[in-house]
Amino acid sequence: MPLDPIARAAITAALPPDEVVDDPVRTRAYECDGLTGYRVRPEMVLIPRDAAGVARAVAACHRNGVPFVARGAGTGLSGGALPVADGVVISVARLNRVLEVDVENRRAVVEPGVTNLEITAAVARHGLYFAPDPSSQQVCTIGGNVAENSGGAHCLKYGFTTNHVYSCEVVLPDGSLVTLGGDTGEQQGPDLRGVFLGSEGTLGITVSVTVKLLRTPETVRTLLADFPSVAAAGDVVSDIVAAGIVPAAVEMMDTLAIEAAEEAVHAGYTVGTPAALVVELDGPIEQCDSEFAQVKEICDRHGCTRLHIAGSPEERAAIWRGRKAAFAAVGRISPDYFVQDGVVPRTRLAEVLQRIAEMGEEAGLRVANVFHAGDGNLHPLVLYSAAKGETERAEHLSGRIAELCVELGGSLSGEHGIGMDKACSMPTMFGEEDLAVMQRVREAFDPTGISNPGKVLPTPRLCGERPGRYRAHPLEEAGVIERL
Amino acid sequence: MRTLVRPTSLAEARAALLDSAGPVAIAGAGTAATWAGALGPVETELSTTGLSGVLTHNPGDMTVSVRAGTPLRELQAAVREHGQHVSFDAARVEEGATVGGLLATGDAGPSALVHGSLRDLVIGTTTLLSDGAVVRSGGHVIKNVAGFDISKLLHGSYGTLGLLVEVVLRLHPVPAAVGTVAVECDLPEAARLAGELLASQLEPTAVEWLSSGRLLVRIDSTEEALPARLDRVVALVGGTPDPVSGDRRPGDDRRSRGWEEHAALTRGTPGEAVLRIGVKPSLLPGLLARLPVGTVTAGLGTGVATVSVPVGEVAAAHAAVHAAGGTSVLRTRPVSGTAVPAWGPPPSAVAVLRAVKQKFDPDSRFGPGRFDPWEIS
Ligand SMILES: Cc1cc2nc3c(=O)[nH]c(=O)nc-3n(C[C@H](O)[C@H](O)[C@H](O)COP(=O)(O)OP(=O)(O)OC[C@H]3O[C@@H](n4cnc5c(N)ncnc54)[C@H](O)[C@@H]3O)c2cc1C
Repeated sequence: MPLDPIARAAITAALPPDEVVDDPVRTRAYECDGLTGYRVRPEMVLIPRDAAGVARAVAACHRNGVPFVARGAGTGLSGGALPVADGVVISVARLNRVLEVDVENRRAVVEPGVTNLEITAAVARHGLYFAPDPSSQQVCTIGGNVAENSGGAHCLKYGFTTNHVYSCEVVLPDGSLVTLGGDTGEQQGPDLRGVFLGSEGTLGITVSVTVKLLRTPETVRTLLADFPSVAAAGDVVSDIVAAGIVPAAVEMMDTLAIEAAEEAVHAGYTVGTPAALVVELDGPIEQCDSEFAQVKEICDRHGCTRLHIAGSPEERAAIWRGRKAAFAAVGRISPDYFVQDGVVPRTRLAEVLQRIAEMGEEAGLRVANVFHAGDGNLHPLVLYSAAKGETERAEHLSGRIAELCVELGGSLSGEHGIGMDKACSMPTMFGEEDLAVMQRVREAFDPTGISNPGKVLPTPRLCGERPGRYRAHPLEEAGVIERL
Repeated sequence: MRTLVRPTSLAEARAALLDSAGPVAIAGAGTAATWAGALGPVETELSTTGLSGVLTHNPGDMTVSVRAGTPLRELQAAVREHGQHVSFDAARVEEGATVGGLLATGDAGPSALVHGSLRDLVIGTTTLLSDGAVVRSGGHVIKNVAGFDISKLLHGSYGTLGLLVEVVLRLHPVPAAVGTVAVECDLPEAARLAGELLASQLEPTAVEWLSSGRLLVRIDSTEEALPARLDRVVALVGGTPDPVSGDRRPGDDRRSRGWEEHAALTRGTPGEAVLRIGVKPSLLPGLLARLPVGTVTAGLGTGVATVSVPVGEVAAAHAAVHAAGGTSVLRTRPVSGTAVPAWGPPPSAVAVLRAVKQKFDPDSRFGPGRFDPWEIS
């Protein structure tokens, strides 16, 4: 359904001409995000220069009942920024200023289009940094990080975006501007900032963010260790945790992922080893030293076949380059791949990897694993060839892996979000009533449902009336009600 | 006439709600009964103390689920056997405050500097709404972005949105060794020293000034590293190690005399009102100097302070905090007498608060008056 001409004219009139794009060649650039398999061409793309412009654009959409989708850098991996067919995209790309750096209070106020890494770049000379570090940090925006509650390799110790935001200025779906959160951890009443974080653009558009900054740690120690099996590497992670150590990061890669990464960036990983762990500790020197000694000892105890300790910042960077390249590098060993993002309780890592391997074998597809082992967040990469007609099989396997994580007591997504990609899987994790109450939250912020419709929560239009597998209601579990 | 119900299960709680009409007060251990807006007239008091007990503790995953009426100190005792704890040290924990009550009041202690408040530690909740709907959000894993994080809405809701039934929390290892350095000084000097500490890389877990004239700096550490780390704190800011009181093992939650005094000070001065205020840390010393405060504990890294002020000064104090861009809420009002304003001016998103309230509690049954005078209803 094309956009009603009156609505189109009203929205066009809300902004200066150079902030409105409706030339089909140019709007095509916005037709997908990082999940490139889904594409929808938006009717118009609005690129306001400031918060007031965003508010005018949203208000015009609201008056005319036109749905809008906020967009940062478009690196999202769950189709969150996928346009809606009869709607507009509102890009925050031009809201890209660092508004204030407050060294004394260790915080910065930034516009949503500032990239994650630009925040740290702007404050590094004061010995400060912004802790959440998604692998996409060179390009993804803080507005996108807020919307997805993004994490990174270091969130085991430091937490996610939600733990590093004091407040957001938000244009609500009716065009009004409010502040969610305040100047400290103390909130006035229910934590609206907290529910907005991770709402994937469905509750409004962020126009500025006050982020918390941390002092850079005194020292950082990084090691890369090879193990004879994924299970042995998993035991190391468990023992580190049992020793009362909270590492800054613990990442694991399996043979296939290592092979791909080495081929791409030659970071010094051992090709052929069944599993490798990257363990990083940071903090005051004495603390780090005593913990690092324990970690080395634990690695040895579990039959570590090679232990490489980064001896310089360059060596540390190389280890991380290998880890961070793994995603893209898989492109070298397979024409196409899907990335999953499920989470399992850490103690079930070995089990889930075993099951994934079996499922892959059954489907006749290879699965490479790179993951945040410390918090059980998997990133299985399902390798396939579209040219050989494997797409559907791969997609099915990929979805089954996410649902397996839920079965094992985990989650569909650790950091990439639900978007449109996994909305239809939500009923495997949440019951109807859970989802209905989430819908109430959505309606409280967005009574007319124009802010990124069709994302996060399943809709019959998107998912069909598929009853499918469902999650039991708490009262069913208690034996109070039953479903016959 | 107020009917008291004390359900022992989600099903009983739901039946009690659906079988009753009119306004409902949700009560945990009662340690914060006087906090925030005074409760209006209610017909039913719903006690959570029957909803008690640890459900599942997975030591390897460092997560625990409990029923919301469980006193946090009981939970701490249970998980501490495995060398783990909830990294949370609000003074009320020692008084028997429940997990649900601590979450609903948005409470936090000195270690919020590093660990945040319960909103940063909660990973899942099950909540009963007044119309009988039950909503689960989050789950049992620390990393999870599926669905809206309803737990956060319950944080600071003061019993106005729903009844927390179950809470899942992230655990941390109990630090192997904990030490505190105490420095005798006034507030301006404490603020200067805190500035140096926070600009250093010594990573204190808590930095609090007490109106008894002391700055407390807590270090959580490994055994081996603690002496050196404490020495470095002393070298930077002076002071002396604060003695651990006799009956407490290292690793217990309130680790030294200074922290016991801190907990006592958060209860205020008899006859005065207690206010909890939050403001940018750099503005806190100046703000406190302008207020007619009695007892004070001031988080110089967090910007969060608990102070006592004369009852007649509460309104002016709210106004002064608001003028500094901060937040304030009444924590203890004198037992009877004049109405004391619980909150300052409403936040800019008050319309969203009203809309959420309307969606969650359409008949306005839960917690009447708690957000007065904001007309959240
Ligand atoms: C190679 C690669 C590696 C990645 N690694 C990680 C990782 O380690 N950890 C991780 O968490 N993620 C990772 N991601 C996913 C992605 O980078 C993050 O989700 C990121 O936060 C998205 O930011 P963006 O600016 O690209 O947002 P977009 O993709 O543009 O948008 C994402 C969602 O946010 C909404 N949105 C964007 N801006 C706003 C705004 N201002 N207000 C309201 N809503 C808004 C959109 O509507 C959409 O729903 C990775 C992606 C890639 C391609």
